[in-house]
Amino acid sequence: MDRLIDLIPLDYTESVVLIGAVILGVAAGVLGAFAVLRQRSLVGDALSHATLPGVCVAFIATGAKDAPTLALGAAAAGLIGAGLILAIERTGRIRPDAAIGVVLASFFSLGIVLLTFLANYNNANQAGLDTYLFGQAAGLLEGDLEIMGALCLASLALVAIFFRPLKAGLFDMSFAGSMGLPVRLLELAMTAMLVIAIVIGVRTVGAILMVAMLVVPTVTARQLTSRLSTLLVIAGATGAAVGSVGALISNSSNLPTGPVIVVVGFLVALTAIAFAPGRGVAWRARKILRERRRAANEGVLIDLETALHAGAPPTVDELVLTSGRSASGVNRALRDLDRAGALERDGDRIHLSEQGAAAVHALLRKRDLWSVWLEHGWRLELPDAREPDPRNLRHTLGDENTERLLAFAAAGGDARPEGEGRAGEGGDDE
Amino acid sequence: MSDDLAIILTAGLLATACGLLGPFLVLRRQVLLSDAVSHAVLPGIVLVFLLFGSRAPLAVIVGAAVFAVICVLGIEALRGTGLVHSDAAIGLVFPLLFALGVLGVTHFASGVHLDLDSTIYGEIAFTPFRTWEVFGIEVARSLPLLGAVTAANLILLALFWKELKAITFDPGFARVNGLRPVLVSRFLLIAVAVTAVTAFESVGAILVVTMLIVPAATSYLVTVRLLPMVVVSVAVGWVAALGGYGSAVALDASIGGAMGLVAACCFGVALLFAPRYGFVTRSIRRARRAEATEPA
Repeated sequence: MDRLIDLIPLDYTESVVLIGAVILGVAAGVLGAFAVLRQRSLVGDALSHATLPGVCVAFIATGAKDAPTLALGAAAAGLIGAGLILAIERTGRIRPDAAIGVVLASFFSLGIVLLTFLANYNNANQAGLDTYLFGQAAGLLEGDLEIMGALCLASLALVAIFFRPLKAGLFDMSFAGSMGLPVRLLELAMTAMLVIAIVIGVRTVGAILMVAMLVVPTVTARQLTSRLSTLLVIAGATGAAVGSVGALISNSSNLPTGPVIVVVGFLVALTAIAFAPGRGVAWRARKILRERRRAANEGVLIDLETALHAGAPPTVDELVLTSGRSASGVNRALRDLDRAGALERDGDRIHLSEQGAAAVHALLRKRDLWSVWLEHGWRLELPDAREPDPRNLRHTLGDENTERLLAFAAAGGDARPEGEGRAGEGGDDE
Repeated sequence: MSDDLAIILTAGLLATACGLLGPFLVLRRQVLLSDAVSHAVLPGIVLVFLLFGSRAPLAVIVGAAVFAVICVLGIEALRGTGLVHSDAAIGLVFPLLFALGVLGVTHFASGVHLDLDSTIYGEIAFTPFRTWEVFGIEVARSLPLLGAVTAANLILLALFWKELKAITFDPGFARVNGLRPVLVSRFLLIAVAVTAVTAFESVGAILVVTMLIVPAATSYLVTVRLLPMVVVSVAVGWVAALGGYGSAVALDASIGGAMGLVAACCFGVALLFAPRYGFVTRSIRRARRAEATEPA
């Protein structure tokens, strides 16, 4: 540990805080995932409050204020709190959120009562126990780091060894049970891991902010991957990054470490939620906008084709009138189509270029195929309930099925025949 | 007015104000939202202090209510993305707001009279010393404040009883009948926030959260109808207030903590011995039934 501290080009206290924040980030990230993915994030809130009476009892019992004793007390209280939450839920009437709330409030009240006891009956020695609550990264000692590091490594090793049963229990408890895994033990193990993460963290960032340390890495990682193993790695890395960046910022700006780490973490999680590839809010918004634009362009293209079919090439204003679209929408679509080389201009009037005509033809074919699918699709008797993509039906069905579909349509029955591009829409209905 | 009476009355008023709202939180599964909101108002308090340099109750309450709404809207927005579960959304938003509040306190307001202990862990034992003159009589400041909040909550419930009931038990039905579930639920949370903030400076956050959650959960074990549930929840709150004060004096312990513990004991008793849902009562009933069906 000494050598590690020497390696970091900061002064002693700052290095200790930095290492502590990184250890906390990794532990909270990896171990918190097992709570967050089960939608139990706020159990972390309750348990981090529940550690307070444990710390007090440990202090009363031993009179020592060293890190291992207090951590042991905190862990014991956390486990009891977790057990109580499970037990209260098990009775049936009380729902999980109320159970969490009740345990949080009761344990914290107990902690406060014990604190006042200490204040009354002990002397100055107890001072500082209550900073346990708000966390005091600056108060971290080298000995704390060693304990935190050991706990973190041990729990990570356990996660690695028992990865498969944990995974089964995480996603499907009843499946895990049917496989003969000890379900209760798994549940307890996951909660115990949460308690370990909390015991590591509460001292650094405090009880309330600890929740964020548990939630942020998993939320971030979840946006980037759907595999548990990758998620755990990303969550650990995110936690470490958030912890170290927060600690560095707080060093250089003289702000308290815990809150800075939480603010950094929130920004990271928010960025992930907004910009995660394929999933983030911004990505989805862009996709929707693109789809809208594509649909508008295709609509204008078909309107233009209809107008050309009906008579002389239209001007832009005429096209706006006949299509019933907004002028700005039509103009934008025409700009896009121009850029794609689908249009030819003849003064004011608009023609389709060769390329445009081909595009319209393909588009109409696609639309006709879709109406054929709606009418005759059931006759294909597809073996699976696939969801066809209206933008590209041939791709969904495959060439063979598409040909069969067209054959059904051509054979008629009670259906009208599939025409050549335009004809179906024109006036074949008689 | 004697100090004992002031403290007991303050706690009793708090129990009433919280007991009126708590059952709705329990029924609507928003228990932890109340915890979140009561932490998230910290930046509001700090901001008001920084801008106006005052801790005047009204300004602080408005500032806090604003942040309560920000907290709720933020949680809803995160949940609305469909990328984050509601528990994780709560776990993201309220620590952030709380952290901002702590940063505000330590960075801008250090050295002035706005330490965390007095905003978050206000001590109920000091209520008799902060007094106001009302009609020439000196009373503890917390009494008129909490009295007003209690009255407001009572009026809220009396006026919107039907609406709250409909929205709590059947939001779909409520919407079909022209009520606005989202709006009313937001009002409820604002009421929770205002109650919490008003009570903060006189009794401390943890006692508020305890009084909101534990009596309501206790009464949820005992009753099945809404009106009795509210009544029982207020009653449990009063039991906690009286019993807590008594035991705190006897043991020389923190008053707020003792009240919380008494409330927790009530919950424990209800969990075990409630007539219909208690753990022990149900086991006894099951045993009797097994006995009765056993072939003679």
